[in-house]
Amino acid sequence: MKNPFHTPFAAVFTNEVLLNAKRVTPYVLMVLFAANAVLWWGWGPAVQRGWATNSDFYIRRHMGGFSFILGLPIFTAIMMGDIVVRDFRLGVDPLIFSKPVGRASYLLGKFLGSFFVLVCCQSVYAITLVLLQWVPFTGMVFLPVKVVPYFKHFFIVVVISHLALAAIYFAAGTLTRNAKVVYGLAACFYPVYIALQLLVFLKLPKIFNVLFDPLGFNLGQGGLLTNPWNLSADFLNKAVASYNFDQYANRVSNIIVTGLLLLLVYFRFRIDSQEKKAEPFTKLTLSDAPDRMAYSAPSYGSIDLPVEAVPVRDRITLPKVSSTKGPAATLSQIISALGVEFRLLRAERGLIVLVPLAILLSFLSVPFSRIATEVSYSVTSATNTANMLLLFLAGAIVFYTGEAMNRDRELKIEPVIWSTPAPNSVLLLSKWLAMTLLSLLLVLVGGLTTIVTQVIRGYTPVDVSAYLIINGVVVVPGVVFLTSFVVALNVLLRNNYVVYVVAIGAGVGLVYLYNLGYKHWSYNPLLYQLWTYSNLTDATMLAHRLYCLALAAACLALAHVLFERGHASRVFFAAKRHKKLKKISKTS
Amino acid sequence: MLVIKDLTKTYSSGVQALQGVSLDLPAGVFGLLGPNGSGKTTLMKIVATLLEPDSGSVEMNGADLITRKDHTRRMLGYLPQDFGLYPTLTAWQMLDYLAKLKGVTNKKERHALIDVLLERVNLSAERSQRLGGFSGGMRQRLGIAQALISEPQLIIVDEPTAGLDPEERLRFHNLISESTTETTVVILSTHIVSDVANLCSHMAIIRKGKIISTCTPGQAVDQLKGSVWEGIVSREQLAAFKSEYNVISSRRLDGGARVRVISKGQRPSEELTEATPVLEDYYFDLINRQDQ
Repeated sequence: MKNPFHTPFAAVFTNEVLLNAKRVTPYVLMVLFAANAVLWWGWGPAVQRGWATNSDFYIRRHMGGFSFILGLPIFTAIMMGDIVVRDFRLGVDPLIFSKPVGRASYLLGKFLGSFFVLVCCQSVYAITLVLLQWVPFTGMVFLPVKVVPYFKHFFIVVVISHLALAAIYFAAGTLTRNAKVVYGLAACFYPVYIALQLLVFLKLPKIFNVLFDPLGFNLGQGGLLTNPWNLSADFLNKAVASYNFDQYANRVSNIIVTGLLLLLVYFRFRIDSQEKKAEPFTKLTLSDAPDRMAYSAPSYGSIDLPVEAVPVRDRITLPKVSSTKGPAATLSQIISALGVEFRLLRAERGLIVLVPLAILLSFLSVPFSRIATEVSYSVTSATNTANMLLLFLAGAIVFYTGEAMNRDRELKIEPVIWSTPAPNSVLLLSKWLAMTLLSLLLVLVGGLTTIVTQVIRGYTPVDVSAYLIINGVVVVPGVVFLTSFVVALNVLLRNNYVVYVVAIGAGVGLVYLYNLGYKHWSYNPLLYQLWTYSNLTDATMLAHRLYCLALAAACLALAHVLFERGHASRVFFAAKRHKKLKKISKTS
Repeated sequence: MLVIKDLTKTYSSGVQALQGVSLDLPAGVFGLLGPNGSGKTTLMKIVATLLEPDSGSVEMNGADLITRKDHTRRMLGYLPQDFGLYPTLTAWQMLDYLAKLKGVTNKKERHALIDVLLERVNLSAERSQRLGGFSGGMRQRLGIAQALISEPQLIIVDEPTAGLDPEERLRFHNLISESTTETTVVILSTHIVSDVANLCSHMAIIRKGKIISTCTPGQAVDQLKGSVWEGIVSREQLAAFKSEYNVISSRRLDGGARVRVISKGQRPSEELTEATPVLEDYYFDLINRQDQ
């Protein structure tokens, strides 16, 4: 019998684990999840309400929170989206597919290898909580130390939920061969999922929720988990969080959906290069222009040097050109670079996902039935669209700016561009402008969709000024800040995957803080929960928005200062490098 | 023209890529020859302002190239060893973009320049094709076209012929030799000896971050006149030959081996006759002696 550890599947699986072990992302995720566990332990609702922090109910409850609220679905996309795409991007695919590896072994090895690493990262959350039971905290209610419930709930609530999500992202990334499609899906996960819950699943029979909801959101124990606020602490501490039939059926359905998605990937996956297929002009054409041999090829014959000088008539005579400097030349270079960025963006299939999603979200943000309005129906619609679009754009900006900032390195074009005299500002501003303009275009598309939806539903007259004020005061400065911040982060960290994790971690941490009530405008540049339509035209609001734009300018200035050509390591590695150099020189 | 003095570079991993490299490069094509990992690309990157040296200087006509990066980039044409292109842009769009980055902002001048460049590298017919469909040779020709934008005084081509078929390689040699003027310095970094023999008026050999030889290819060959021997020896003799002499090459034949040996001053064996030295002999002799 064949040793299972010597099969191609095992080789692909272990290699995937090894590759992930050499990336920074999993370690950053582990740190984030451990910090998350500490937050739930010490600063979660249990301490405030007298619930036992290690009661079965509370463990089950915050496993659900971990699985959904704090960005885990997006982290799953980061880990699972580009597993196969990476092989094609790095050009390893011909080396792998020329070996006797079956498609099933390859795909399953890749999927399970990366999912295993993802589960290892996630399990840091459960392990940290188990260990924290030995760390006393003033005012905390404790039950005797337990271990099994943590891993039981972790497996049922977190692992199985994310198995289906991982399969969705894996299928999308592998079949489209485009990680950006996955990032687009991840960016709109929350708005779409919440909208589906509120507008679709709640109105359909429960069976749909059971079959098609990967997180099993509304299948709780009759309010024990979703609405425990009126129940006594004593009752909750003694409650056992068991799973009902619907929940088990949902978990089983998740596993079946995962299997079906993997089957789909298996049948649809092709090993040939999609891009080359799309290029009908791919051919090997040798030049026949230089018909004169510059020198006879001597190789092993005699060479009587010095070599013959090339006759003047054969030299390339290029037309005279004038090279210009100064602000006008820089502006021209920025416009040109911006044009290239847009041409590259236009060729992205990710945009085919982003634009329809922006339209869908804007459409969903208009209430289906007439609701109590703050000032007018237009104000309510514009407010909803702004909130939803900002959330969506935050994700889109993080992912797409990361891709744009790292594209030149991935395409190996950096040395060519960096050896030109174009100032750093041209290289940075072109990317920043492209992403900002793209985001503003999405805002415009979203706004127009909302207006059209409002008109179609007959909620007229449309107050266009409400849309202009809300988008102009809240969304546009927010987008400018977000793009600048992510550009600076990319320059500083120089690895798009680390940027994704750090940005999402920072975002989640801030939203957590804001929801705890710490939402001062000084560290809340997007003014999350800090604005209403009536205060948008205040002088204070103007000051807040100027502050937001000043932060954006500071981020860009920081990016400009830290941007270095030709250095793989960043500022915070510099000290380490110098230390090592000193050591080397001492030794020598 | 170009003076490199005491360049040192140690990477953060501890690898000493350059250990006090000094070179004096006249106008013309200068060949930098060395095995893989000898420090050629590091040296090229430093001269192309893409890497900071730990110490040393690079000057061209008295101007410091390391500190005056903008000045350097204005007179530089650089073709990296492994470079990419935007696959969705056309050849014309790519050159147009790079010309703008080089500061050629006048539209008429730029368009005329790009047309001539594409013609010279024989890509006029492919000007509107996307770069994603270009073959290796076509990409390399576009690479040299971009390096020639804006009349560079210093052209750096790093391993330009690696991976090209013989015909495309020859055309590339022609392009390089046709691109030089009396005031242009072309640095050709390669590990292919015949590239240097074909193109360069001066050369240096670099090994483990140190320059081990600087001369013209003619001088290199002259040094070995009367020292290169070739012939067929028995298999039994081969082992003794290898231990006693500097065997440059040996090819097994039926019942024996054809060997090429360096032996200064004396004929190694009756079976061997004197051969005309070539640049490969000099290169392998030097490398073998360094290894010993």
